[in-house]
Amino acid sequence: MYTKFVMKRVMYGLLMSIVMVLTFSTLFNTVAEQTLHSQIDEQIGQELRRYSNVNKEQLTAIAVAKRTQKEHQYHLDQPILLRILYRTFDTLTFQYGNATSIKAPNGDKDVLLIELAYLPNTLVLFTTQVVLTILIGVPMGLWAARKPNGVLDKVISSLSMVTNGLPSWWLGLIMIMAFAYGPLGIFPSGGIHINPAPEGWAGAVDYLWHLSLPLITLVLLSIWGTAYLVRNIVLGNLQEDFVMAARARGIPERMVLLGHTLRTSMPAIMTIVVLSLFASISGNIVFEIIFGWPGLGKLYWVAIQQNDIPVLMGTLAISTFINIVGFILLDLVYGWLDPRIKVGGKA
Amino acid sequence: MNIRETLAGFGEFWNEFRKSTLGLVGLGILVLFLLFGTFGQYLTPFPGATENWRNIDFWQDNAQAAPPVWTNVPWGTQAAASAFLSDAKVEVQELDGGVKQATWSFAYPYQADQAPRDVIFAFTGTGQVPVILSVTRPDGKTVEISRQQLDLAEGELQRVSVTNSGAQSLIEFIRSSDEALASKLVADVVKPTRLLFAKIDPQMAETPVSLKGSYTFTLTALYLNETSKVEDPSVRISGAVSGLLGTDISKRDIYTGIVIGIRWALIIGLVTSLITVLIGVLLGVLAAYFGGPVDWVINRVYEYFYLMPVIPFLVVISAIFKITIWALIGLIVLFFWTGAFKPVYGMALQLKEEVFVEASRALGSSRWRIILKHIFPMVLPYSFAVMALSVPGVIVYEATVSILGLGDPNIVTWGGILQAAFGQGAVINNLWWWVVPPGLMIALMGMAFVFLGTALDKILQPKLKTR
Repeated sequence: MYTKFVMKRVMYGLLMSIVMVLTFSTLFNTVAEQTLHSQIDEQIGQELRRYSNVNKEQLTAIAVAKRTQKEHQYHLDQPILLRILYRTFDTLTFQYGNATSIKAPNGDKDVLLIELAYLPNTLVLFTTQVVLTILIGVPMGLWAARKPNGVLDKVISSLSMVTNGLPSWWLGLIMIMAFAYGPLGIFPSGGIHINPAPEGWAGAVDYLWHLSLPLITLVLLSIWGTAYLVRNIVLGNLQEDFVMAARARGIPERMVLLGHTLRTSMPAIMTIVVLSLFASISGNIVFEIIFGWPGLGKLYWVAIQQNDIPVLMGTLAISTFINIVGFILLDLVYGWLDPRIKVGGKA
Repeated sequence: MNIRETLAGFGEFWNEFRKSTLGLVGLGILVLFLLFGTFGQYLTPFPGATENWRNIDFWQDNAQAAPPVWTNVPWGTQAAASAFLSDAKVEVQELDGGVKQATWSFAYPYQADQAPRDVIFAFTGTGQVPVILSVTRPDGKTVEISRQQLDLAEGELQRVSVTNSGAQSLIEFIRSSDEALASKLVADVVKPTRLLFAKIDPQMAETPVSLKGSYTFTLTALYLNETSKVEDPSVRISGAVSGLLGTDISKRDIYTGIVIGIRWALIIGLVTSLITVLIGVLLGVLAAYFGGPVDWVINRVYEYFYLMPVIPFLVVISAIFKITIWALIGLIVLFFWTGAFKPVYGMALQLKEEVFVEASRALGSSRWRIILKHIFPMVLPYSFAVMALSVPGVIVYEATVSILGLGDPNIVTWGGILQAAFGQGAVINNLWWWVVPPGLMIALMGMAFVFLGTALDKILQPKLKTR
């Protein structure tokens, strides 16, 4: 039963990816092909420099032949619909082509390798954010639910409203001004390590030191909304009959809260919390730029600045995949936790 | 439903709304924003700022990167604020040979400890006019800042800045009372306004002691013939502190920018949320009521837009196509209707099974009649709550696209101001008055709508369930 559910969701995710990549390929076809043409021109120019003992007409003939061959290789001689389909297929199979100006740290020009060099930093920043937010936000929400309208409850609900409309990158700017420059400048203002990067344990400490300010900022923003959500879910569950039954049996309030209520609330909490944080991965482009954190967001920035279309397209595709994979994974976890979903599980 | 019934319904709603403090606070902030968004331009010291935000000439007399005036705390040193002196005492004297001499004197009471950044004489003139610009200090001494033989085209604007062209004259002025000190001063290094507003003593170049009292700026012009004249003279003090919220690196007044930015924040937030909610409600009701293939298709479209990484997509699109603000609003609409869709869909599914809908169907009502008459009016109030709650997100999206430098360059938005701040080193130079206010305004605007939305949600949601 569960296998079938998994298969269905995976197929669905794949289909969504195809449709989305198809959209991107269509929308950005012109600009992507322009880039490809100029890349071909550049390649041919380089190759022609090797011919020294041929006259001008022969050179032109060679150039034309090479161009035809290259355009055929990149399917540029096909009708537009086929070209879009080829691009879609290439993108789905992670063949993003070569970057025009950006290079991976080891000098590679393949867009996929560039993406893979930047991706881990994004994942580190945001998984630590998720873990810390859950570790702090869930207990806070539980505590608030114990005493609705108490001090903590009021603080949480008002702060969750304030942080709701606050751009994370703006708080980032403020935190940098407060804690990276000036008398309280105890954190680095950006980047991922000092130059040159230290090795071994010193390197790890340095990495954590650079991670802390962006991490603190993100967690500071996300815990309130999370706690508010947990509080609402738990409060809803506290009205249930089984909670009243447990209380009637004389089970201490602490046990009711932690044993009965939290357990039943956990699937809903996990889904919503992780879901909202997932949405923040791609939403925090600017955040990474502000902190000079070399993740996907920074890569968008560099690609826009240097007008590197292949990298821009590749990063967009990767962001889309991450989004879809995330949502499908959550669906699977949720279906596993709550059997009702997979029974009614239509795609 | 007649008018009286509608009014009664509204009165009932208002009675409930009044009880919600948060809702009232949100409404109050929103009304303030609406007032400022409509008349804001006239509530700023620079009425033409909306059109001239990126016009360097418009801002040239302002101080550069000056902190707000209220940083002059009573217990600290007082920095001179920006000022605009246009009231002058005018004297016209007839000299020999038909030559007239006109003199304008501007009084400037100076009580600060820290001199202004610059003092600018500005006037328009025509023809050949020799002018002398001078300052009479409280100690009775007069500094001649500049003496020029001007030959102006008709109505040509002339500006003379003490900082740019007064250094040598001030050194000469000091030489008349302290030869040794003047010989140590270098024209390219001294700050002319600091010397102008300081007591004369040997330390005045390093630690000037401010000379408080009434200064008089004098402009003397000679009209050599009938056509030559000088008009609209004024003296602009570009202060060490300036305006309610200071100025940025391009000398723009940040308070003015914040106020004129309200309009676009409101337009973006309200227009987008209104359209998105209408689309979301319409599609939600249609999908729920018709079911079958319509339901399936609408839900797949919903999932498509829901799963798309919105901000990366918006960023890439605006980077490649360089879109205007209206195109951006259109794109945001494309993604934001998903927020209203799911709750409305759920509600409409419930309503569809209600007895009164069934009764109406039994009486032979058409599907559209049921949708328009019964289902729409029931979900629409709730959609206002959804709408209010979606405004902050929209504003943040616009700001996010703007701060990457991809916003519409022809309008003034808070995101645009933040982009300038980030791009021109406000963070490194600790120009906090440039970074903090735009973000606070985004947050405040968001909060106002969240307060409203939460209040509406509380009032409208349970009604729907109990009916």
